Amino acid sequence: MTSTLDTAEAAEAKAPGRLRRLLPLFGSLQSYIGLVLIFAAGVATKGDVFLNQTNLTNAVGNFSSRGILAVGVTLVIITAGIDLSVGSLMGFASMAAAMMLFHHDMPVWQIVPLCMLIGAAFGFVNGAGTSWLRIQSFVMTLAMLSIARGLDRQMSDNASVGTTVAGPDGKLTENSASFQGLGTPGHNVLVGVLGPDGIYFPVLAFVLVCVVFHLLLSRTRFGRHVYAVGGNPTAARLSGINVTFVVIAVFTLSGMLAGFAGPIDAAYSASADPMAGNGYELDAIAAAVIGGASLAGGKGTIAGTFVGALILTLLDNVLGLNAVSDNWQLVIKGSIVVFAVVLQRPDLLRGAGRRLGRRFGKTPPSEEKTA
Amino acid sequence: MKRTATSVLAALCAAALAGGCASKTDSADGGDSGKDGGQFVIGYSQSNNAEPYRQQLNKQLKHFVARHENLKLLPITDARQDNATQVSQVQSFIQQKVDLLIVSPNEPAPLTPPVEQACKAGIDVLILDRTVNTDCYTSFIGGDNYAIGQKAGEAAVKALPDGGNVAELRGVLSAQPQIDRDKGFRDAVKGHGIKIVEAREAKWTRPNAIKVMNQWLARGTEIDLVYAHNDDMAIGAHGAASGAGKAKSIKFLGIDGLAIPDGGIRAVQQGRLLSTFVYPTGAEEAAEAAYALSQGKKPKKKQTLPTVEVTKANAAKIYEEYDVSGG
Repeated sequence: MTSTLDTAEAAEAKAPGRLRRLLPLFGSLQSYIGLVLIFAAGVATKGDVFLNQTNLTNAVGNFSSRGILAVGVTLVIITAGIDLSVGSLMGFASMAAAMMLFHHDMPVWQIVPLCMLIGAAFGFVNGAGTSWLRIQSFVMTLAMLSIARGLDRQMSDNASVGTTVAGPDGKLTENSASFQGLGTPGHNVLVGVLGPDGIYFPVLAFVLVCVVFHLLLSRTRFGRHVYAVGGNPTAARLSGINVTFVVIAVFTLSGMLAGFAGPIDAAYSASADPMAGNGYELDAIAAAVIGGASLAGGKGTIAGTFVGALILTLLDNVLGLNAVSDNWQLVIKGSIVVFAVVLQRPDLLRGAGRRLGRRFGKTPPSEEKTA
Repeated sequence: MKRTATSVLAALCAAALAGGCASKTDSADGGDSGKDGGQFVIGYSQSNNAEPYRQQLNKQLKHFVARHENLKLLPITDARQDNATQVSQVQSFIQQKVDLLIVSPNEPAPLTPPVEQACKAGIDVLILDRTVNTDCYTSFIGGDNYAIGQKAGEAAVKALPDGGNVAELRGVLSAQPQIDRDKGFRDAVKGHGIKIVEAREAKWTRPNAIKVMNQWLARGTEIDLVYAHNDDMAIGAHGAASGAGKAKSIKFLGIDGLAIPDGGIRAVQQGRLLSTFVYPTGAEEAAEAAYALSQGKKPKKKQTLPTVEVTKANAAKIYEEYDVSGG
């Protein structure tokens, strides 16, 4: 793409500490340690069952709609904002998708882009409220969480809408059958193209979204602007970045991804529930933060979020395969998440050491926020 | 933060309703004289509209109340699963001096004091579906989750005459319906060679049920029958099994039997579930009790509603019976 321009810009930004922050770092093995340990635990306890393509596909497929939300949330978090509305937006989009299919018999290739548009529109409102009205993103998106859920419930009259629609002959309608390809368990896409069994769309979609947004963040000028806005909005503004545009854009993209996750979620459950996606925003934020995103802004990568999502879902999978009791699962999940975050970020431990050292008055100044 | 927001909202609602009270008093007074021929005013406090079962209950109640011209149902209030909200909504009905208060309590303990308040104010109280910790009410109407669990257990015994392996998808573990549906089932299958090989919480939802079912199949557990505490989880488990190509060798039992296109009765009709058990809404019985009260008669203190097993043979008929979408 604009590679010469990019390198020129990167060279310009070569203030040493800043470059480290601007370039998404995910090369070191360190950040994968949590995931590696969970894999090891899975293999050690349930080897053949765990490391089995079907099992891994099922585990990732179950989390994929939340994973896609996490990618959008990561963008917002890097700009030092938060998006609490993604679960509701996904729920709204899943209901919209199911109703388009059920009531209007629309084909998938119309439903998915329309849902993305709907999500993007909601996201745009989030962004506009945050940047133009200067409402804190926490409050703006908390309000949107409520608004979108209310609209979802009103639209559906609180009843779930099925996506397996039978025609007059008792067989699935053509559109309903192809809608299943979006994620109904056991329905793969690209059969014959990607191997004899094809691939499970939610997994493919999650990976593709990660790749596209990884490239967007790490290889484009827009991506660098996102980091700059989160790192220091004043400096970003002074250096000529249109901060308002960047903020509105990340919220719109986050909404668009929630809109994309909607139909996948509806296909997964073969139905859109008026409460679908309730609480998903927390899982999405957790995946981003476990993956190294900082709620203070300026830090985070899509690769990290991808790893964070895998940690969450594979941990759940390993515990489930080992039939750990439901109550202990909650305790273990929480503990391991803390453990994984600390393991992945040795700087946290070093920071703790520094703070202890500070008591003896020989601390180097904090390097966290250089303007 | 959320709690504060909720209570502020609750306070606003209460204020709005109390403000509306001035204008409503007329109609409520009219209701009092209504026992002599005018309108009999009913206030219904629902614990949470966002559950398909409760949505169906609301619709059916409106439908059955409308059959009697002298009954007037005020707009149904939705406590959105919040005790404080429901308490204030019940209190505002008391202030409006309704003739009959119907309550589906979110939880027994917090709703007990306002029910006693209504009772002391001389308002008839009908408890629908869930209980309160007081005897100071006119009538209780509800299903029996333990009995439904037992029926499901009997159906499992019938489906597996030589015994077999059962996997149980449980609702939220702390919820009373979950506890009763679990106990009834286990008591009924005892001594019939049926082994409950797996039991996991799937929190009433399809995505969770799909995930858990997939994990069971991955573990290689031999499963002959899946007993789910509601239809959504049963349908989800069926979807996961059919995705893995194992749906034909496993039977699925659900509970709720809602007459909606995406509900359990249709799933039985389509052969996805072996059977489901209607968890009765009690809406018709509540409307009839309200009518009896309006005529000065006393309804029964406690009505436990029987369940119906929905099988492929009777599914179409039962769907028609419970379907109120046509009005």
